[in-house]
Amino acid sequence: MRLLLVEDNRELADWLGKTLRQANYVVDVVHDGEDVEHALAAGDHALVILDLALPRMGGLEVLRMLRARGNRVPVIVLTANASLDGRVKGLNEGADDYLAKPFQVEELEARIRVQLRRVNDRTAPVVACGDLVFDTNTRLFSLAGETLALTPREHAVLEQLMVKAGRTVSKAALSSAIFDFETDADPSAIEIYVHRLRKKLEGSRVQIATLRGLGYLLRDAG
Amino acid sequence: MPVKSLRLQLLAWVVLPLAGLATINLWTSHRSALATADLVTDRMLVGSARAIAEQVAIVDGVLDATVPPAAIEMFDTGDRDSVYYRVETAGGRLLTGYPDLPEAPTRPSMEAVYRDHRLRLLTFSHAVIGAGTDSPISVTVGVTLAGHDAMVRHLWVSAFAQQLALVAIAGVFVLLGLRRGLAPLIRLRDAVRSPNRSDLDPIEVAGAQSEIRPLVDALNVYMERVRAQMAAQRRFIANAAHQLRTPLALMSTQASYALRESAADQRQEALVALQASSGRLARLAEQLLTLSRAEPGSRRPRADRVDLTEAARHVLETQAPAAVARSIDLGLDETGPVAVAGDGTMLREMIVNLVDNALRYTPAGGAVTVRLARVDGEAVLTVADDGPGIPVDEREHVFERFYRLAGSTEDGSGLGLSIVREVVENAGGRVTLADGAAGGLVVEVRLPLA
Repeated sequence: MRLLLVEDNRELADWLGKTLRQANYVVDVVHDGEDVEHALAAGDHALVILDLALPRMGGLEVLRMLRARGNRVPVIVLTANASLDGRVKGLNEGADDYLAKPFQVEELEARIRVQLRRVNDRTAPVVACGDLVFDTNTRLFSLAGETLALTPREHAVLEQLMVKAGRTVSKAALSSAIFDFETDADPSAIEIYVHRLRKKLEGSRVQIATLRGLGYLLRDAG
Repeated sequence: MPVKSLRLQLLAWVVLPLAGLATINLWTSHRSALATADLVTDRMLVGSARAIAEQVAIVDGVLDATVPPAAIEMFDTGDRDSVYYRVETAGGRLLTGYPDLPEAPTRPSMEAVYRDHRLRLLTFSHAVIGAGTDSPISVTVGVTLAGHDAMVRHLWVSAFAQQLALVAIAGVFVLLGLRRGLAPLIRLRDAVRSPNRSDLDPIEVAGAQSEIRPLVDALNVYMERVRAQMAAQRRFIANAAHQLRTPLALMSTQASYALRESAADQRQEALVALQASSGRLARLAEQLLTLSRAEPGSRRPRADRVDLTEAARHVLETQAPAAVARSIDLGLDETGPVAVAGDGTMLREMIVNLVDNALRYTPAGGAVTVRLARVDGEAVLTVADDGPGIPVDEREHVFERFYRLAGSTEDGSGLGLSIVREVVENAGGRVTLADGAAGGLVVEVRLPLA
């Protein structure tokens, strides 16, 4: 899952990004409200974490602009202003959730999971396809009850396929969901990750099918 | 014991002089009642004596005095007065009456005691034609004083009642007037005491007199000042809370990261960063405290004799490691002690903030110079750095609390310069910003010499 973090305090942005990457999220960080629209256009972000106190273009303004253009990406607002008035204002402008600083990372992550479940129209925290299971709380894959060891990239690809299980995911969609702005997006690298994933899934009921010219598809072959 | 009640005071000021005047008035009215009674009694005595005298005639060649009843009865006023008389010839021969009745003058009458009674008596002389050497005869009439005194009492008591009524009515009107006059004050008191006025709104007292209006106005001005101060305080606390939230979120994030990270070197990196964050947070807390102490009224004004040179040297020594770590050439340029009067702790804190700012914005390899001098009878402290400087149109704003230059990426709190200004102004000095000769910022603080 690729997230966009908008926070002007560079240190907090850095460390929050690092911490979310620990949990196998792909994270892009921008420090300025004016960069948000561009970032969202360039990547397939499943969720935005938006600080309200931003230089040049404030968080509320960013939110208003996004919603006015019909962008429905889930937005969790972060703010140092914990007043009721501030919270209501944020939610009225189209925020999906609200978190006051200082917060615990665990709480932010829980709220991220809630938003992602809602987007993917799930209520259960566990996603299964055949004997492959993804626990969205621990953010770990397990195959036939055994935890599956994956690199962050492999994890990102598999998570994307898992969320869309049973449907085709194009190579371009995979690419924009797993590469952050720091990495040169190399679509051919996706073939390598898929190849490795297939090896790790060997002998299980699930398989990643290639549909030429269309993309990949995760299915229960059992 | 001083009287504390305005009502009692005013009542005393009005009623006591009035009562005094009434007393004097009563005394004079007593005198005039007495004079009136004397006059009336004299007239009656004269009338009585004349009536007796006119009945004295030569009857058969002998001088005969018959007392007519009317001459006695005219004194019968219901006060049971006794009347005494004596009629005698010019030679002193008694014709009729009481021989031992005292001698009396003609008008006015005199007062005498006769047979244990006080009397008023006078003598009337009357020529009797044909009486020869016996003429003129003299008639002495005396009357006891019951009727006289009753008349005095009557005249005087009614005057007394009038005076008393006057004083009482005056007192009542004073109280009524006071009640009306004090009503706006009572309303003012109620308005101030009212439980639903926690918001320090201006008080409006309807019908306040021109004497009370200034009190209401002064109270409102005072409350406005308190309200402004409270608003400033609230803004400051809200800002301070706001400033503390992001660093706290950062520290919490760094701690979470370190807890989850299994790679030792990355955990180490997170812990080092966490330590730095906590140091900065401590510095921020200290700055907030300094500011709240610099606030007027929050600390007893002090006038320590502070040697700025010594204070600056001390601050630079503490800051030297940070400067060395970033290869910044940190220097002190002084020519001896420069003593000023002020709060020593706050003045040192001011220098800390100036040097801290200079070091923060000076790039690695740059120079920061603290210079002390006496110029025109003032102590002048300048801190020059090699940083980016502050644009002219921003220079007034940077002294505002929490103000940060747009696009500034340094992790300053926006408090340093506002601390400097508050401390300097408290010590009776001023602070100005200027461009350095080779770029950078020069902060100049001028303080009166001690």
